[in-house]
Amino acid sequence: MDFFVQQLVNGLTLGSLYALLALGYSIVYGVLGLLNFAQGEVYMVGAFIGFGVLSGLGGPASLAVPVPLALMLMFIAAALGSGALSVAIERIAFKPLREASRIAPLITALGVSVFLQNAVLLLLGPDIRNYDASSFIPFTSGIHAGPLNISLIRIIVIVTTFALMVALTLWVGRSKLGRLMRAVSYDREGAQMIGIDVDRTIMIAFFVGGVLAGIAGVMAGLVFSRVFQLMGFVAGLKAFTGAVIGGIGSIPGAMLGGMLVGLAESFTAAYISSTFQNVIVFAVLVVMMVVRPTGLLGRPTVGKV
Amino acid sequence: MFLPIRQRRTPGARITARALILGGVVITLALIAAGCGGGNSSSSASGTSGKPCDASIGVLTVLTGAAGPQGREMLHWAQLAVDQFNQENGTNITVVEGDDQLDPAQAATVAQQWASNSKIVAVVGPESDGTVDSAGPILGKAGLVMVSSTATSSRLTDGKYPTFYRVIPPDSLQGSQDAQYMIDTLKVKKVFVIDDQSAYSKGIADVVVPKLKDAGVDVSSDSVSQNNTDYSALVSKISDDTDVVFLPWMLAANAQLFGDQMAEQGKKAAIFGSDGVFSPQDFHVNGSYISTFSPDIQNDPKYADLVKEFEDQYGQFGAFGLTTYPATQVVLEAVKKACDDGGSPPDVGAVAENVKNTNIQESVLGQPIEFESNGEMKNAKFYVYTIKDGEYVIAPS
Repeated sequence: MDFFVQQLVNGLTLGSLYALLALGYSIVYGVLGLLNFAQGEVYMVGAFIGFGVLSGLGGPASLAVPVPLALMLMFIAAALGSGALSVAIERIAFKPLREASRIAPLITALGVSVFLQNAVLLLLGPDIRNYDASSFIPFTSGIHAGPLNISLIRIIVIVTTFALMVALTLWVGRSKLGRLMRAVSYDREGAQMIGIDVDRTIMIAFFVGGVLAGIAGVMAGLVFSRVFQLMGFVAGLKAFTGAVIGGIGSIPGAMLGGMLVGLAESFTAAYISSTFQNVIVFAVLVVMMVVRPTGLLGRPTVGKV
Repeated sequence: MFLPIRQRRTPGARITARALILGGVVITLALIAAGCGGGNSSSSASGTSGKPCDASIGVLTVLTGAAGPQGREMLHWAQLAVDQFNQENGTNITVVEGDDQLDPAQAATVAQQWASNSKIVAVVGPESDGTVDSAGPILGKAGLVMVSSTATSSRLTDGKYPTFYRVIPPDSLQGSQDAQYMIDTLKVKKVFVIDDQSAYSKGIADVVVPKLKDAGVDVSSDSVSQNNTDYSALVSKISDDTDVVFLPWMLAANAQLFGDQMAEQGKKAAIFGSDGVFSPQDFHVNGSYISTFSPDIQNDPKYADLVKEFEDQYGQFGAFGLTTYPATQVVLEAVKKACDDGGSPPDVGAVAENVKNTNIQESVLGQPIEFESNGEMKNAKFYVYTIKDGEYVIAPS
């Protein structure tokens, strides 16, 4: 039982990162019908921004400010920086292609992704940066009951993720901006005709996607320590898988799908072998595409002439 | 729900949307298959042209990515060897860098470029078993000799790559020595062996597991992708009575991460790493053991000048790159002899022949360098280190 709970926590931690990233995919797909493959790189940049703040505050071993404040600053800087980057990507790479065929922005997204990886490589060098979170959030903090060890870092990650999900659901469902986004996702031309500023709404969708990716990046640094320019690649693919499994375009679907991918990885490693982690995750994706192409919570698109 | 209202779209739009997602999935799978790709090779010249013996040697290793620090250290040792050699002998040998990103596909691409580059007369590397497997046939076909300083798989010298040589011992030796050390010195009862799914790692695990089992040790094994940064699920599987977790991994930073995640879950077993894990900057879990082919020259007064010269130019170093220095010396001697015998530019075949007949009496390896007919170095050996207070020290035997 302890083993199961431990693995559940492991899976939820990983799932949290994927879910936050998957939300970015889904929100952008929702308003624009675009698969933004650069999402993983926005996450990577977020992780680097978090590291920059951490170093600026004195580094992991000798923080100049209290730990909660440092964490807040890291999350906020990464969220805003990644959000701004995401908006810039939209303006530069996707907006000019909005009326082009749908494959064009897909290729552009891959291009942006390669560009960002190499830009970070050139600017910051290939060295791995280390958050070394255990030196300011010791492993001994958190829950330790017999064989069960849940570090405070994991608790922070999981709780923050669930809080963000609730906030996002409320925001999209209840706020004016959320209504605008839903309107644009439902019918862009129609929304434009009734006077909704579509450009601004799309920009906001990208911003929110970037914010979530940036926060996920800092979380990745806290839990897995290592930050490097290729870290967004695999995470981005797994999150995309989560978004599709959950039903791309659906916010609860992205949350569910991301969590499922994380849990699938952990439980595969726990009860089968970690050799099969990727096999299982992508097999689930393929099966899902065959059996239920709209994903778990995606609505089938009804075509009427 | 993001799309709370039933969407009204034309059937065409619906098909496009689905095709787009399918396309995305296909691209996803294709990208996984292809790995990260990309990369470059650049050349750096040293010395001036016009001097006798004008040639280039390729250094094929990983310069970017998670193993980049180790690979760049190798490159730096090669550059130092070349600079010293040019200065002493008045030659004009230059280094061409090849970044394979530890990716066999990328290594093959670089090898193709070099095979058709007549200026390159020999190769230092490739750095890993997987990249030897992909670049080896291409370089071999072009007659280029390879002298590796880090690729340790036993099967690399079974005759498949006739121009392959190495200045280090093979895995079969490392695996059996590691297993013997665990049995005799650490007196292990229970060991968890986790390979990293690379040819190198599996090769060592395949030697260690049966040897431990034969000695009555309770062995369980698993394997994990090098792209992973989450080992927590595997760490949870380590039982409390496990004495040693054996990690024959290529990436020291990953082993450190594994160690951190063990600490997070309060696991007490000791880590035993192979030579890939040997990197004082990247791996420093106290109480761990690491086997390596690289002797410790930093505490040897005989090499104080060399250590200083390297550190002045390139900064601190671990132990992974050091063997590239003698490997490069082997290549340089061979190139110079080919020049002396047949003029510049040297003949590729003559360089390969000279490497085969290498006879360097003094080296940083602490032993003479001569090769067996299959490319193995004569009398090569391994050393086991342990980490005390963050420092690497020779382990008690």
